[in-house]
Amino acid sequence: MRAMGEQKEVLKVEKVTKKYASKEVVKEASLAVNEGEIKVLIGPSGGGKSTLLQCINFLVTPDKGRIWLEGKEVLHSQKKNLYEYRQKVGMIFQDFNLFDHLTALGNVEIALLKVRKMTKKDARDRAVAELERVGLRDHIRKYPAQLSGGQKQRVSIARALAMDPKVMLLDEPTSALDPELITEVHAVIKALGAEGMTMVMATHQIGFASHLADEMLFMEDGIIVETGAPAKLLLQAEYARTREFCAKLTGRYGETR
Amino acid sequence: MEELLFIRQDVLPALLRGLRISLMLIIPSGLCGFALGVFVGALRVYGSPWVKRLTNGYVIIFRGFPLVVQLFIWYFGLPHIGIYLTPFLASVLGFTLCSAAYHSEYVRGAFQSIKGGQRLAAQALGFTKLEMIRTIILPQAFRRAVPGCGNELIYLIKYSSLAYMITCIELTGEGKVIASETFKYTEIFFMVGLIYLLLTSLATLSLRRIEDKLRIPGFDNYNP
Amino acid sequence: MLEYLTAIGDALPYLLQGSLVTIALVVGAMALGLVIGILLAVGLVYGPPYIRALFSMYVWFFRGVPLLVLLFLFYFGLFTLVGINISAFTAAVIVLGLISSAYQSQIFRGGILSLPEGQLKAARALGMSDGKAICSIVLPQALRLSIPGWSNEYSIVLKDSAIAYALGVAEVMARAHFVASRTYQHLPLYFTAGVIFLILTYMGTKALRVLEERLRIPGYMR
Repeated sequence: MRAMGEQKEVLKVEKVTKKYASKEVVKEASLAVNEGEIKVLIGPSGGGKSTLLQCINFLVTPDKGRIWLEGKEVLHSQKKNLYEYRQKVGMIFQDFNLFDHLTALGNVEIALLKVRKMTKKDARDRAVAELERVGLRDHIRKYPAQLSGGQKQRVSIARALAMDPKVMLLDEPTSALDPELITEVHAVIKALGAEGMTMVMATHQIGFASHLADEMLFMEDGIIVETGAPAKLLLQAEYARTREFCAKLTGRYGETR
Repeated sequence: MEELLFIRQDVLPALLRGLRISLMLIIPSGLCGFALGVFVGALRVYGSPWVKRLTNGYVIIFRGFPLVVQLFIWYFGLPHIGIYLTPFLASVLGFTLCSAAYHSEYVRGAFQSIKGGQRLAAQALGFTKLEMIRTIILPQAFRRAVPGCGNELIYLIKYSSLAYMITCIELTGEGKVIASETFKYTEIFFMVGLIYLLLTSLATLSLRRIEDKLRIPGFDNYNP
Repeated sequence: MLEYLTAIGDALPYLLQGSLVTIALVVGAMALGLVIGILLAVGLVYGPPYIRALFSMYVWFFRGVPLLVLLFLFYFGLFTLVGINISAFTAAVIVLGLISSAYQSQIFRGGILSLPEGQLKAARALGMSDGKAICSIVLPQALRLSIPGWSNEYSIVLKDSAIAYALGVAEVMARAHFVASRTYQHLPLYFTAGVIFLILTYMGTKALRVLEERLRIPGYMR
């Protein structure tokens, strides 16, 4: 937990709704994240966590709802506004989505070169530094297919960090990993938290999340049902469904940290 | 007005005459080419080593030489060894032999894609070799070969226009004759093109129909 | 037999010069087809409905009409109609290229569609515009996957280029026929022409296989 004080709101999401066919996958979801805060979305699979995260940076266009970054509303129909916004929001995907034709270095460099128009040398230095930060100094020349799952996810974190994001969205960053590879990715995320990175993360790793989160949000059937500090949500949730879910998960995953 | 009359009185009858010849080229070549292709394809899979070598050689040459070259060989070349073919017969021969080579590729691929287990299961049930091929292998192989062989048929429709180059006056030829007389190249070749487009589109649609009819649930016709 | 061999020997230099014309036809047509084919494929996958409809019509037309008819239509018809005076060679390159673009577009489209959706998503998440994402993320991968299909298309365009003879382009086939009708050695000359095409097919597909191997992404299997 961080000290309370003058807190700056980084990201605000208000009543975001997304329908597929006639099914509402996300229903009027709202949340606000202050600088340095870490919010964790939990809830059953298919509950809308991933869609909500993708709505936040408009990879999925929400049907309704508004979003502000550092007090400025995002006008996603204006391309330029949208692209600038996305640069400031780092996204980590469940299945990494590294660019398969580029080396680890190339993956981190490409947006610096093509989007931020940095010089080759600056982009390279920055990319090397970010890969070092996630502990991949020795693997920068490797292609995604030559890396383990954990290494791939760390490259994708480096790729997002290189853009100097104001907030990071992590969509189940360790779900696609073999159990023995989860720890290395958790370590990187933990370090980010310690450095004060603002984050919104969806995860099933309750044990890990409860230590990291300032606040947890329980989401089911597209609705953010309940919000609260990890201890409260995990041990004395108000709603029966939240209690049931947390009891199951802490029972099953309690040891994973 | 005069234009329309000209089209109705001169152009259309000529093109229809040409279309008839084109169809007379395409249908027998398509049927014979497919039959020969199945035969050659089967030999390439089940034949003895030297039969395989011979049939593979046939396929290399007939897929590797441009069709025009092949047609010229049949029409201008054969007379040198005492065989005289009419332009029509030379065309049918050329189309048949060339498309058989392509068909055999698809047929061979289809035969090879049938898993060994199918054969073992049939043998275990006491099928003779011929029975097994007829009732177990062929029905499966046929489905796998249909998309490729169908495409080959569409190619044949288009390549039948090459008969004109050895003076067999079919649709393209009739078009060329009137166009040269009237200098209305654009209009006439546009009409000729549309007729071919109609033929290829009809063929594509009916092939898709056939493929849908033949589909076995859960059995991928394209990817073994 | 000896008579055949001398006939071939006498004509060979002339035919080989023709193979340069054939190569020029094919390289020009494939290059034109590549550029238009990429545009078509991108439009067919990512374009708005009216673009997709328009491009599908284009592909349908150029895949459904015989090359010979299009050669006549463009060379004697359209080009003359709009007052462009071009050589038979240029006309053949253009028509071969337009047809090939229709086929190439289908190869590239398949390549694009076979990429996981996450590639484009990740590019967008980094703030790339769709244009940038397509150019620097989608196409470099899709084009690599398209090389085998492209190699097949090459061998088809190569053989089709012989039809340019109908416009009087002095490529291999035209030269073989020219010599044959003078020397009455049709069989050996056509056969030699055919073998030249076989060799060109072999060399081209071999070169493309080397290219594919060179561009292969380490560890990547598909």
